[in-house]
Amino acid sequence: MSESPWLRIGWRNLGRNRKRTGLTAIGLAIGFGANVFVVGWSEGLMAEMVESATSLVNGQIEIHDVEFRPERSLYDTIGGREGTDVEALLRVIDGDVSVVAAAPRVYAGGLVSSGEATSAGMFMGIDPVRELALTRFLDQLVDGRLPVTGQNELLVGEEMARQLSTSVGDELVVVASGADGSMANDLYTLVGIFRSGLTELDATFVVMPVGDLQTLVVLSPNRVHEIAVATADPMVAEATAARLADILPSVDSAIEVVPWTVLNPVMVDYVALADSMYFVIILIVFGIAIFGVANSMLMATFERRREFAVMLALGATPRSVWAVVLSEGLAVGVVSLVLGAVVTFPLMVWFHNAPPDLSMFLESDVTLMGALLSPSLRVEYDVPYWCTCAAALIVTALLAALYPAMRAGRTLPADTLSGL
Amino acid sequence: MRAIALTVAMLFCAWVSSAPAQEPVDARDIIDRVDRILRGESSRGVATMEVVTEHWERQVTMELWSLGTDYSLVRVRAPQKEAGTATLMADGNIWNYLPKVERTIKLPASMMGGSWLGSHFTNDDVVKESQLIEDFDIEIAFDGERDGVAVWELLLTPKPEAPVVWGSIEFQVRQADDMPLWAKYYDEDGELSRTMEYSEFAVLGGRLVPAVMHMYPSDKPGERTTLLYEELEFNIDLDPSFFSLRTLQRRR
Repeated sequence: MSESPWLRIGWRNLGRNRKRTGLTAIGLAIGFGANVFVVGWSEGLMAEMVESATSLVNGQIEIHDVEFRPERSLYDTIGGREGTDVEALLRVIDGDVSVVAAAPRVYAGGLVSSGEATSAGMFMGIDPVRELALTRFLDQLVDGRLPVTGQNELLVGEEMARQLSTSVGDELVVVASGADGSMANDLYTLVGIFRSGLTELDATFVVMPVGDLQTLVVLSPNRVHEIAVATADPMVAEATAARLADILPSVDSAIEVVPWTVLNPVMVDYVALADSMYFVIILIVFGIAIFGVANSMLMATFERRREFAVMLALGATPRSVWAVVLSEGLAVGVVSLVLGAVVTFPLMVWFHNAPPDLSMFLESDVTLMGALLSPSLRVEYDVPYWCTCAAALIVTALLAALYPAMRAGRTLPADTLSGL
Repeated sequence: MRAIALTVAMLFCAWVSSAPAQEPVDARDIIDRVDRILRGESSRGVATMEVVTEHWERQVTMELWSLGTDYSLVRVRAPQKEAGTATLMADGNIWNYLPKVERTIKLPASMMGGSWLGSHFTNDDVVKESQLIEDFDIEIAFDGERDGVAVWELLLTPKPEAPVVWGSIEFQVRQADDMPLWAKYYDEDGELSRTMEYSEFAVLGGRLVPAVMHMYPSDKPGERTTLLYEELEFNIDLDPSFFSLRTLQRRR
């Protein structure tokens, strides 16, 4: 700042009316903080939505027979009618650097009955050990334990247990269409109740070991409908899916490897829409701020019109008067930025690591686009966006100073000094 | 000679009075007669259902009882693995008895659109044997010969408030004996949804009936469900108490 006298003068002028400078700077700092915070919160929400949608039940990547989606037919198993070597497939998938977990699944539709009550159910056959590493909905059961293979044991969701008026230890009748056309049915013991928080899932999903479901619906052990894959970060799912598609062993029927971005394009669009809104937030917040700053700058230059008149009378060019006022704007911007950063970043760290829990204000779970959200105000860091906000703040301060600077530069020395 | 002339005259009169073309034909009457062919006040029968799908084929032999439109009971006789499996339909509800686990389950309303015993018929088809003349407006769309056989073709469109899933139904009925030849079911968009074909007309239980019915779902080319009646008795001694959960759970 010492190199240019104009910058120095601009900087010193901040101290002329400290209250006014302080209020202006606080206004801009709040604008900056609000931007960073609101966007951080929105990104936190988006990140959680994606994370929840992909890790609660689904996984970030799904591997199916190419015919499986969207009808999810019982017959469209990986590898077609002959099935495939599931263990070999899992070994290949596990070998990928980005893959955290992979688990085979079998699905079948049917009925679950307890006493007088009967519900339609979606049976999901899982490998309990692998599934626990992949998804979260079985991590903490409301009651009971995970089923053991070969014991005719199953889990139902909390809502289905309520509808069937059943509890752990009860016997349930299961009916499903077998792959041979038969009406498959058997008795099972309810050994656990899960709660995913997604009502539809908790009301319809029935979970049992994959081998037991294959036996029930007459599918051989090498026939599974899906291998769900978890990646370390949802954002690498697309690249990982492409890599897996190349290295998976070829089987009779084509396999498709689909990342969540393809399975859930609406969510991708939603995140993109939110991203595009952030720029609008910057425009609105700083658009409001600019008038406040311009107002106080106008006041400041008006008060100092005699000073500018003297400068001009002594031979200073209008350009140097502009430089003084713009420097003052820049100085206000820098002060505001420092103030905003000092106040905002500790808050961001707090809300990122230990967000306030709002669950006491909510009666039920919050779901957004089919994803379960935790009721907290967790924020995500977005350094490029912070930089954009900082730049926007400086630009705002300079733009706000532009008109006062032009007016100051047009001061008529003789008229002003003579008191006109 | 006079006697011969008299005989000829009498025969002529008899022919004139019996000629169907001379009488006005009521479309509702035709459908009502067709509707009643396979449904006496009460009936018992044995039928084999053959289901052919893209993935498997199976045959199920079963014994059936019915009383009016409200009650029916079906018990599987073969294959052995499923023998004793029974379905009871009473007052619009369906119960299934599963002999393997010795349990009876009532089908929830949400499953009424599901397949009945693995066939292309839905549970709703089995329960809602709605009387066609009550739910549909009926008109004769064609009256004449097709392939040398005199037939009526009837167009049934649902009445505005009728609880039916079809957009329209077409029936072809043989004029000589009121035997249905085929029926085409269209959905609400006018797309053909399924075709029923009737054949092997035979006297069973003292009544001429189509002993074989094929059902072809339009959305699954190559698939079909065929019902072959082997035995049929009509107007037998049955009362509503027969259609109970206790009868359902009887193994034979």
